[in-house]
Amino acid sequence: MLIQLSDIHRTYQVGTEEVHALQGVSIGIEKGEWVAIIGQSGSGKSTLMNVIGCLDTPTSGRYLLNGKDVSSMVDDELADIRNREIGFIFQNFQLLPRETALSNVELPLVYRGVGAKERRAKAIEALKAVRLEDRMSHKPNELSGGQRQRVAIARALAGEPSLLLADEPTGNLDSATGEEIVKLFEQLHSQGHTLVLVTHEPKLAARCPRAVRLSDGHVVADGPGPQVALA
Amino acid sequence: MSFRVDLVEGSRIALRSLSAHRLRTVLTTVGVGIGVATLLAILGIIQGLNTSFEKQLESIGPASLYISKRPWVQIGNWWEYRNRKNITMEQVEAVRAQSTFAEVVAPWMSNEEDVSFNGIDLTAIDVTGTTPEYAQVAGYDVTEGRFLTGTDDDNLSSVAVIGADVAGTLFPHSSPLGARIRVNARPFTVVGVLGAKGKVLDENQDLTVLIPLKTYRALHNGQKSHTIGVKVKSPELLDAAEDELVGILRRARATPPSKPDDFAINRAEQLAGMYNQLTGALYGVAVAIGFITLLVGGIGIMNIMLVSVRERTREIGVRRALGARKRTIVLQFILEAVVVSAVGGLLGTIVGLLGAKVVSWVTPLAATVKASTVLFGVGFAAAVGLIFGIWPAARAANLDPVEALRHE
Repeated sequence: MLIQLSDIHRTYQVGTEEVHALQGVSIGIEKGEWVAIIGQSGSGKSTLMNVIGCLDTPTSGRYLLNGKDVSSMVDDELADIRNREIGFIFQNFQLLPRETALSNVELPLVYRGVGAKERRAKAIEALKAVRLEDRMSHKPNELSGGQRQRVAIARALAGEPSLLLADEPTGNLDSATGEEIVKLFEQLHSQGHTLVLVTHEPKLAARCPRAVRLSDGHVVADGPGPQVALA
Repeated sequence: MSFRVDLVEGSRIALRSLSAHRLRTVLTTVGVGIGVATLLAILGIIQGLNTSFEKQLESIGPASLYISKRPWVQIGNWWEYRNRKNITMEQVEAVRAQSTFAEVVAPWMSNEEDVSFNGIDLTAIDVTGTTPEYAQVAGYDVTEGRFLTGTDDDNLSSVAVIGADVAGTLFPHSSPLGARIRVNARPFTVVGVLGAKGKVLDENQDLTVLIPLKTYRALHNGQKSHTIGVKVKSPELLDAAEDELVGILRRARATPPSKPDDFAINRAEQLAGMYNQLTGALYGVAVAIGFITLLVGGIGIMNIMLVSVRERTREIGVRRALGARKRTIVLQFILEAVVVSAVGGLLGTIVGLLGAKVVSWVTPLAATVKASTVLFGVGFAAAVGLIFGIWPAARAANLDPVEALRHE
């Protein structure tokens, strides 16, 4: 089991009010799975993504990632876990605007302390995997939306993490380009990568072998993608 | 991730960010630069003043002791000093005969007199009656003619050796040698001219006339106290020589053992003490102004760093998501601040040095700058960057990555 969430709660304090974003979520995800997390806005799916991505820690409950209990880790340890275990793919790409595609892809390896030569080689390899080897020295504003998202995917792949975590990866793309990205995900899945995809689009979730539906901080459905997404 | 990697990556990011905002970087740099320049110019001028004062002290003679009735720096009741017994020629002889540390002993007396030649009058000129040894004790060279001799003294000759500025004023076009000048209406034949010595604490050493001691005493037939200049063999012997002189003088003056010394033994250091007292407060204020200017530069850096952190909130979020630790972010922003201020410090150092030079050209103030001052300038500027960069950097590192990624 790559991800094991047991009875995860996450409570925020907003002013004087307590917001219970997650109220006892338990999910297990195996290596090599492709899982969509689906739900309306306010369902807690973003909070769940942040917890899975180790950007946030649960108020209570246990989270085992690759056998390690990350629910009680301190900030530095979480930073290292994010660096090694997680490849983030964001809706708005989150590339550094002043850096070239290659430098952007190298970034996780920089923070891992990988030497310059090896870093470059791995980054080039990752850019090849998304078929962008001819755009390496372009800056983000010289690339199309689909190309930017592919750079972001290459950045997520470059660190060879155990989990690719995508947040509305097609949200800022037109449907044709979005389709391109979904195809890329299918390809990555077939190569054995573990993918967790957070989305509010049922059509996208239906393409995933498995989907988990959240509502008001609870898991309300968990099963094959088309069934859960289009129910 | 190691500190070295943090440092390399941090520097790279800092340089990139600085070159992306050139105007902002330049303006911030100028802010620090002005602070450093001001501080260095002030320090340079102070150092220059101190150096020129040290040179003046050297002209007094670092290895000389001056025995007189009153101390140079007077504390206590002036009438107590006034009522002391005069230092007599017998005491001068006692010092000459008994001091083992003395190399040269010269007695003198002096007063302000009017000096004139050929219708040109000089008023209140220091006229000193002394012996041939005076040249060595006071450090005068003779550029024309000769110095006073023992024979001049024995014969009560009416001869004078005049200071460079007296010679320049009374004899603008001719040689003074052989001329008969009037000192307090009495004629004296000029036999020598002294080399220029400059000023000590604003007292012109070149407006002076030297005549034989016995001649002087004959002119001022009243009782007057001598000053005894004692040149010691080397400056390290000053303390021992002073102890010895105290003993010699107490015996010669028959000072009762129960009474304190009724004479003073002065040395150049005492003037240094007075100088420091006079100038210390002034220097303190000047340096404080320099520091305040630098502080303003530092606040400029802090301001710009806070803007930079705000602008790059998303970037910080991305870096944190990809595995940057807090300290990596801290280092990145601190390096940025330190680089800006160190560059400012370097520019400010250059401007400050030029400023000090300009001051030394257009004013009588001498300005000298030591290499250590330059290092201090750059180092201090970098420290300002460090101090004023810490808070913005800490703010950057403590951003919640989730919030930072959502920042528009």
